[in-house]
Amino acid sequence: MEALSVHQVNKVYNKTVQALQDITFDIQEGELFGLVGPDGAGKSTLFNILTTLLLPDSGNIRILGLDLINDYKQVRQEIGYLPGTFSLYPDLSVKENLDFFAVMYKSDIEQNMDIIRPIWKQIEPFSKRKAGKLSGGMKQKLALCCALIHRPKILFLDEPTTGVDPVSRKEFWEILQTIRTQGITVLVSTPYMDEATLCDRIALIQNGKILEINTPADIMKQFRGCLYTFRSEDIFSLLNALKECPLKCNYYPYGEYCHIAFYEDMEKAMPTFIQFLDERKQEHGEIKPIQPSIEDCFIEIVKMNRHE
Amino acid sequence: MKELRMILKKEFIHIFRDRITLLLVLAMPVALVLLFGFTISTDIHNARIAVLDHAKDSKSQQFIQKLSSSNYFQIVSYPSTEAEIDFQFKENNIKLAIVIPHNFETHLENEHSATIQVIDDVSDLNVASILNNYVRAVVVDFQNEYNRALISEEPFSITTKMEYNPNMESVYMFVPGIITLIMILVTALMSSITLAREKETGTMRMLFITPVKKIYIIIGKVIPYMIISFLSTIVIIIISVFVFKMPLNGSIFFLLLLCIIFMLTAASFGMLISTISTTQLDAMMITMMGLFLPTVLLSGFLFPLNSMPMIFQILANVFPAKWFILAIKDVMIKGSGFFDVWPYLTILFGMAVVFISISLKMLDRRN
Repeated sequence: MEALSVHQVNKVYNKTVQALQDITFDIQEGELFGLVGPDGAGKSTLFNILTTLLLPDSGNIRILGLDLINDYKQVRQEIGYLPGTFSLYPDLSVKENLDFFAVMYKSDIEQNMDIIRPIWKQIEPFSKRKAGKLSGGMKQKLALCCALIHRPKILFLDEPTTGVDPVSRKEFWEILQTIRTQGITVLVSTPYMDEATLCDRIALIQNGKILEINTPADIMKQFRGCLYTFRSEDIFSLLNALKECPLKCNYYPYGEYCHIAFYEDMEKAMPTFIQFLDERKQEHGEIKPIQPSIEDCFIEIVKMNRHE
Repeated sequence: MKELRMILKKEFIHIFRDRITLLLVLAMPVALVLLFGFTISTDIHNARIAVLDHAKDSKSQQFIQKLSSSNYFQIVSYPSTEAEIDFQFKENNIKLAIVIPHNFETHLENEHSATIQVIDDVSDLNVASILNNYVRAVVVDFQNEYNRALISEEPFSITTKMEYNPNMESVYMFVPGIITLIMILVTALMSSITLAREKETGTMRMLFITPVKKIYIIIGKVIPYMIISFLSTIVIIIISVFVFKMPLNGSIFFLLLLCIIFMLTAASFGMLISTISTTQLDAMMITMMGLFLPTVLLSGFLFPLNSMPMIFQILANVFPAKWFILAIKDVMIKGSGFFDVWPYLTILFGMAVVFISISLKMLDRRN
């Protein structure tokens, strides 16, 4: 059964900014669903709508069989929300924050301890510390406890790991995996591509439109080009030169490396490419074929959509 | 109800952990009432004046005697020329000078009329006009005595009975005003700022998606600041009654009830402001410009409403302070009871109901 079903949702800000355009997707019960996209793609707007804080201009949304727009009061009982910015009381202690939200949700901490215990154990030593004085990772763990204290059926997490150190990020994702084993459906957004692969399915979102919905593995399988990588001493001049490349290709910097995907028959194309680089006097290291990462796939999908 | 108790508890934690604001909120009323009561007063005592006595006869001596025996004036010099008076004004040594002409007594005896000249320093208009009135009072007094000596029966005289404020103490005017300001500052400003703070930190959104009732959120915000400002009001009343001898002719319980209703109005105005502002700064600016300033200017507390252009007199009706000041003055000074001031109470209560309903509507919006 679908835990969440979003159909043709549109939202326009100030009559000019199309924040969301025909957003349609379903999330199955117990699924860990990722919403991946750059800043400004419309992720937070979608979260605000799904958490009943904002009304869409048009479209239908059903959460657990409830109509989000009309039955928003019942919906609020069933969802947990961790917003993109830290939204607990900084001058209240860790325990006071948890107590507060437990009462607001008419919930009992002891009864629901089983669901938050793995997280609570990690922050319990700091329970007397003020929430504002916690580290980024600790803050998110506390916020997660507060969002789970009423046993929601769906959990919405808006960029929970932005601004969190890599170790805590990893811990946080491990926690998410345990949460879903308890039968809670999770919708999580992230700008980090590596995290996307940890989801059951992901939706790629850009400029308010969903470009692709699939499992990470299938998205990677769909990569159409032949991807190569090579090192360059002067990546800026290289990128400039590649503008005039005669081959059908898609290139972008990747740290000190350049990733380039060709849409050609490579046996013929590779010599042409090397010749092109030599003509332009571009120094380059060995040009190696590589497996596309989810990020490469995302870039390809974005480019394809732009050309269509 | 458990939710409401929790919100209240949380709000008090905010208040008690923010020591500086707490100190400010508690000390401000005392500071304000002492400041207004002792220093900012329109009563002037012992103003420094100079008397140039050209006549030097017994009647002029009598007049000077009258001046110095009133405790309004302190004669600091007896110059002998007009130039000297001018010099003393420039030196800021005196606030007012009186010139008694030559042959003062002779003129009085022969023509039953004489003129004295009063020179004011009108660089400060308020002080000058008050001192001028004091001089007039002394002159009238002097005239009466002179007349009485001349004819045994007075043809015409005025006796004034100063009802409700016999000594024309300005503190009677200020105390209701200060109570009003304190209640606006503490309840309206503080509650609107803290609600706006929750918007800023995002905790408001977290509260909104909980099933808790909106009215609890509002009540929980308002009550703590009403309690604080209620305590402040009691302190102000105690100081004004025991230090400044302000009368408390009406019932104390009715006075406090009046204060509670006004606090409710002020707090609901604060709520309304915070629903339309998104940051603490917004909330503060809107409260200051939209509520505090009109309260100071348009409540009749500092500037009499009757002498304002019609448009401002009409505008003043919109702000709760005008009605509260009318009511509290009646209760404290005239000793009025419920049946005298119920229209004001109804207006204040009605305003509170309207403001809270609008706030609730605004909070329920989802955009």
